[in-house]
Amino acid sequence: MMATLMATLAKFGASIAKEARILGRDRQALILFFSMPVVFVLILSLSLRDAFGDRPGATFPVLVVAQDRGEVGQSITQTFRANPHVRLALSHDASEAQARQWLMDGHYRFVVLIPAGATDQAKRRLGEVLAGVPPELRLEAPVAIRVLADPALRADYRKVLESSIDLVLHGVEMRLGRAQVEETLRVTQGDHFMPLPDLESARLFREVQGETVTRQGRGQTPSSVQQNAPAWTLLAMFFLTVPLSVSFIKEREQGSLFRLQTMNVPAWVVLGGKAVPFFAINQIQMVSVLAVSVYVLPLLGGDRLDLGNAPLALALMGASASLAAIGFGIAVAMYARTTEQAAGFSSAMVMIMGALGGILVPKAVMPPLMQDLANLSPLSWGLDGFLDVFVRGGGIADVLPEAMALLAFSAFCHGVGILRYQGRI
Amino acid sequence: MSKPCPLSQQYQAPKEGGPAIELVGVGKLFAGRDVPALDGVDLSVPHGTIYGILGPNGAGKTTLMSILGGLLKPTYGTARIDGHDIAKGRAAIRRVIGMVPQEPAVYPTLTVRENLDYFGRMQGLSGPHLQNRIRACLDLAEMGDYADRRVDQLSGGYRRRLNMVIGLIHEPRILILDEPTVAIDPHSRSLIHQRLRELHASGITILISTHYMEEAEQLCQHIAIIHHGKVMVQGRVPDLLAMQRDKSIQMQFENDPPPDLAARLRTLPGLAEVHVMGRCVRIAAEHPDTLMPTLLTELQARGLGLRSLSFGNSSLAQVFLALTGSTGAPK
Repeated sequence: MMATLMATLAKFGASIAKEARILGRDRQALILFFSMPVVFVLILSLSLRDAFGDRPGATFPVLVVAQDRGEVGQSITQTFRANPHVRLALSHDASEAQARQWLMDGHYRFVVLIPAGATDQAKRRLGEVLAGVPPELRLEAPVAIRVLADPALRADYRKVLESSIDLVLHGVEMRLGRAQVEETLRVTQGDHFMPLPDLESARLFREVQGETVTRQGRGQTPSSVQQNAPAWTLLAMFFLTVPLSVSFIKEREQGSLFRLQTMNVPAWVVLGGKAVPFFAINQIQMVSVLAVSVYVLPLLGGDRLDLGNAPLALALMGASASLAAIGFGIAVAMYARTTEQAAGFSSAMVMIMGALGGILVPKAVMPPLMQDLANLSPLSWGLDGFLDVFVRGGGIADVLPEAMALLAFSAFCHGVGILRYQGRI
Repeated sequence: MSKPCPLSQQYQAPKEGGPAIELVGVGKLFAGRDVPALDGVDLSVPHGTIYGILGPNGAGKTTLMSILGGLLKPTYGTARIDGHDIAKGRAAIRRVIGMVPQEPAVYPTLTVRENLDYFGRMQGLSGPHLQNRIRACLDLAEMGDYADRRVDQLSGGYRRRLNMVIGLIHEPRILILDEPTVAIDPHSRSLIHQRLRELHASGITILISTHYMEEAEQLCQHIAIIHHGKVMVQGRVPDLLAMQRDKSIQMQFENDPPPDLAARLRTLPGLAEVHVMGRCVRIAAEHPDTLMPTLLTELQARGLGLRSLSFGNSSLAQVFLALTGSTGAPK
């Protein structure tokens, strides 16, 4: 009994060594396996850095044409200068036509036009209001601060910028009104008039601040790298199903798989011997992506990946995601008849599962129905598990549901693969 | 100049009683096909023989080999190898058989030695015994100089040699080869034939499928001719050849024969037909051997010098054609 077990384990070891040799001799493929996820994470984390989280740096160019050099022009300019998402360009003498042309040429995404004399016009209008002139008899129209926007600028960004201008103008209205009232009081009561309270600085409400809720109170929102590192690691892991299934079909075409079936070699030895080296590649993929995300990405101006405090949970997720991917590859290999079928089907399925599972498009931006459908994808389970650790501060217990789902999927696929290999289904 | 067969003596103990391989009414019908690939095949391969399965492409040879190798299950019928039922005793059968598939079933990016090592380990070998077997197989294939060369850098002939010796790595008692010499250079074919004879001499039972008539005739003691999934005939090679002994005499003269030769020969008793084509003459007779003395006397009397004369030749090709009436005869 023990001797049989030892003999079978020796065969298992030989199978692993054989597969590792074959993989090791395909250097180009190995380079691709390891570089693909790392390159994707670097490019996408840097490209989408500002589409995630609340870190400053959405630096799109804004032109403020402040023909008015008074308080209105200064206040709006000051507001944009203080906005970390804006690269401000200021002009006092550009015409509207020039500003439109620059916008159309792509130099700016957003232009604010403050007409000359805007502050004086506002004061005159205020004087009429305070003097009780009925609206229909007032000579001064409200000051028109106009904005021009690139159609490609996200609507929510544009709305935020417009709101911030409105907010500034409310402040200007309040300050001008207070000054005008104080001037009237000074005229009527002399220099010893009772000053008005500074309502602008006396905030009645605290500034609204959002708070993210996490399991362990870690107040962090997901950054680009936190989404992209696990997402592309998972996609790379599942993409390994292509070479895995193709290598099975090749062995079948070469006849070596049939030769093994004429020997006393259990199915699990044949399938497992192939799975273990691919599992190792998956783990190296994950470690290299995480290492690049922690150590290299910050050097390139990206965010540093916060790995959380649960390395065992990460290891569990990495292992279960890899086993799920390998199981899927084996099941595909056992049903595909040609290498073209195996490669085409597995890559298409991985892309579909990736798109569905929030890898290509984050689940957060999906409509509710698609978010529900995303739960059908094993890649979604994997991503949720990683985000539990990275973003929500989760540990082993928190990732257990996702890990168990991936392991169940893996067991199902492996079972199908073994039964098919043995010719039972 | 053949090397001594570098095999151990494990082969010398065939299991007592019954044939090495026995098939009774074995048939195989693939899904979606109307015609069975094998149809009621009965076969009995005695221990210690080289047994040829002869048939054209598509006759069902590979299906038969796949059933014996456990790669396919028969739709009906029973088969036993070394006394073990293939449906129940597969593990025991795998220990005694060595399979050599039609196409070289090897890993192209591994070296020759690595292939032997891997398949040896899969057969349960290890340690010094495995190393000895690898050396023996390399010697057997005359591939010692190529041991550390990747298989994808070898010629087709060397790949087939390797393919064969991998089937021998665990010293099987029964070797099953599916068309081992297809598309192979003459030297490698000759080497494989030589090695099969040596293996036979050491006691191994060999079942070989081929569509080469000459190969089967030269190599095998027993032959089964299979056609459209059915065994047309099986038996010892001399017995099969005797079934279709040629009843013609072929002669070639030194010079052009006289124009009246055909008319003159037709008067000889026992002669059925004469065809003269230049200096070549073909005579059909019911009993060519009894006609021969009279014929030679007549030719001598007319002063005709002979360059060649033959009669009574027969071949497996003729046997096959006679049995099947097939135009798609093996080569």
